[in-house]
Amino acid sequence: MSRVVVAGSKNVISPVVEKLHELRMLHIVNYNGSQPQFEMGKPIGKAKEYSEDLIKLRSVTRYLELNKKFPDKAYPESQVLSEMDNLLNNVGADVTVTYERIVAIDAEVKSKQDQIKVLTPLAVLPLPLESYYGYDSLATFVGTAATPVDADVARVSPVNEVYSGSAKNATFVAVFVPADKAGEVSSVLSEHGFSEISVPRLEGNVDSAIATLESSIKSLEGEKVPLQKKLADMKKQYEDLMLATDEYLSMQTRKTEAPLRFAETANAFVIDGYVPADQFGRLKSELESAAGGKLEVSLIADNEADELAEKGEDIPTQMDNPSLVKPYELVTRMFAIPEYKEFDPSLLIFVFFPIMFGMILGDIGYGVMAFLTMVLLKKKFKTPGWQQLINVVQISSVWAVIFGIFFGEIFGPLGLWGKVMGHLHEHELEAVKEAGLYFGEGVFGSLGRIGFWPGIDIFPLDRLASNAVLLLIGTSIIIGIIHCSVGSILGIKTELAYGEKKHAYFEKLPVMLIQVFFGLLVLGLVMGQMMLVIASAIVILVAMVMLVMGPEGPMGLAHLPFYVSNLISYLRLLAIGLASVGLAFAANQLAFYVVMPMLSGGATDSAEFTIPAIIAGLVVLLAVHFINFLLGILSPFMHPLRLHYVEMFTKFYSNHGGGVEYSPFGHVRRFLKA
Amino acid sequence: MAVVADAGSLYGLLAVGAGLATGLAGIGAGMGEQGIGAAVVGVVAEEPGFLGKGLFLMLLPETLIIFGLAVSLILMFAWTPFSGIVTP
Repeated sequence: MSRVVVAGSKNVISPVVEKLHELRMLHIVNYNGSQPQFEMGKPIGKAKEYSEDLIKLRSVTRYLELNKKFPDKAYPESQVLSEMDNLLNNVGADVTVTYERIVAIDAEVKSKQDQIKVLTPLAVLPLPLESYYGYDSLATFVGTAATPVDADVARVSPVNEVYSGSAKNATFVAVFVPADKAGEVSSVLSEHGFSEISVPRLEGNVDSAIATLESSIKSLEGEKVPLQKKLADMKKQYEDLMLATDEYLSMQTRKTEAPLRFAETANAFVIDGYVPADQFGRLKSELESAAGGKLEVSLIADNEADELAEKGEDIPTQMDNPSLVKPYELVTRMFAIPEYKEFDPSLLIFVFFPIMFGMILGDIGYGVMAFLTMVLLKKKFKTPGWQQLINVVQISSVWAVIFGIFFGEIFGPLGLWGKVMGHLHEHELEAVKEAGLYFGEGVFGSLGRIGFWPGIDIFPLDRLASNAVLLLIGTSIIIGIIHCSVGSILGIKTELAYGEKKHAYFEKLPVMLIQVFFGLLVLGLVMGQMMLVIASAIVILVAMVMLVMGPEGPMGLAHLPFYVSNLISYLRLLAIGLASVGLAFAANQLAFYVVMPMLSGGATDSAEFTIPAIIAGLVVLLAVHFINFLLGILSPFMHPLRLHYVEMFTKFYSNHGGGVEYSPFGHVRRFLKA
Repeated sequence: MAVVADAGSLYGLLAVGAGLATGLAGIGAGMGEQGIGAAVVGVVAEEPGFLGKGLFLMLLPETLIIFGLAVSLILMFAWTPFSGIVTP
């Protein structure tokens, strides 16, 4: 990145902004108003009109419930411009009126439904609705009461009319008394747990009033249906055009408001920014020709730029990876953008993440299914973020298939693999078990079993066998040591790039030594090589002394358990894999050895299974495998992610606070043709 | 006090111990994660960019369960204090 300053006459600010927007090269550093000789810039052109139009459009798109989507077709700017007026005023007004009518209908229906709710219980009282209101000298009380009220009302007001009836476990009363007794009657009623209901001002008897309300609700609903269809039609017709117009207006607003980020004097403007070093020449010539010479683009020397960075200016980072690694930038970005001088870990994630995913899932059946599912999802979700995520899983599922071949698993161990590729004969199996070298019973067809050492044939490895578990424990820890050490080496490199020698050699280096030699120490113990154990212990002690001499002093030792636990944490590569294999195994056993025989009345031979038993067994089989498949995508994704974020990134990444992504001024057109 | 010398029940006790190690560690990790998870969801609702760091914080206590699992694995596969009497 090169730090540049663009300074020019205010006369040419519009063409310059236009050009910058088109080039999408300059990452603008906002002017913070700190220098007295410069002011903040002011918007140019029709900024206010554009933003008003945008607000108008956004309210219409909200009524139509338009969401951001992948564009079906792109519009030329001229078409958007010519149709904008019609879209904003005529179509917009039409949509607004229709939408508001629907809202009004909903409100009216709601109020009528409330009235029906109040009226229904009143049917138990023998009064027409008009007799509940419209009196000058009478007070009316209508509501529910817990106990009979007649006697007490008669006591305070000898002249009275009381009607009562009960419905739905409540007693409804209507009390009519002279207006001057209203206060006393009200307090008497409250003693009886009276709660008032407000009777709607309608006429006729209750049932016919309810019937009228219901029919008017029906006609309102009937009116709503074509209106909703109209909105849906309009949405279909104008969706893309509206999104294109939204894009056009947002672009215009951004352009006209861009000077707010510049510094200005009475006659000139200054833009600070960063541009990728190799593109400076192009930026300079393009801008100068756009401004007709009334502009100066100058490069700031590196040492001055470093000073600015030290004062707190963020140098933007542009992640630059080969296209195969690109999807993994998503994983990096989710944690933090690398700082300008930091190593971009996307490449490492590309190397380690799919292997870890594959090692955990490790099943040909699930791998192929995951791959196909992702192919389907790819058609459905077309935004770049989703595409990247899907690519990540797709590459990983290829590794799952590869590991599936090593583990001899097709939808779980033993079952299908044995049918397709064959397995060891009884007597061979006995011999292997006798020798304590049982690593599984599958074979690679006519190749038989394959191994590293003569006599110990490891592959296909049955992960549920105890020998295999021990082997995988070792493998997981070794992967952990390699993974963490790569992290530590990068940590040393990063610290050196920042000129922090003490942090590099007395904080990161000893940690790496401790990790590697802790692994060797355990290996020595397992193999019984005391020389290796002693040598490793000595190196670890030296590393601990180095830590004490480091920047944190003796407190540095307090982190030791963290680093050791980091290594143990890699056991999850084995553990989650085992859980997945276990579930797949259980699914197969449950279906073929429990459900099917049981429902066939204890038959042991598959030829004797009844049809219903086979169907029930298949349902169980599919259900459990489906659950396992979902888990089998989720956890092999989350856990390697964690191994990267927690175990690896803490060694080198983002210790200096994360960076800012290079986002050049400009716009990627989606609905508009350039 | 009765002395348990039956190989089968000793092996059974080992298995129970292994189960407890993983199970209790799981409960502990879950309790740790619940608070962090709630807080992370809150922060992510305000600022989606925090998702990665939030995930990082949320997954920290997960290591606990792996410790429990490591103990279980050692109990079941690598540790044979009763090797003289126990033949699983």
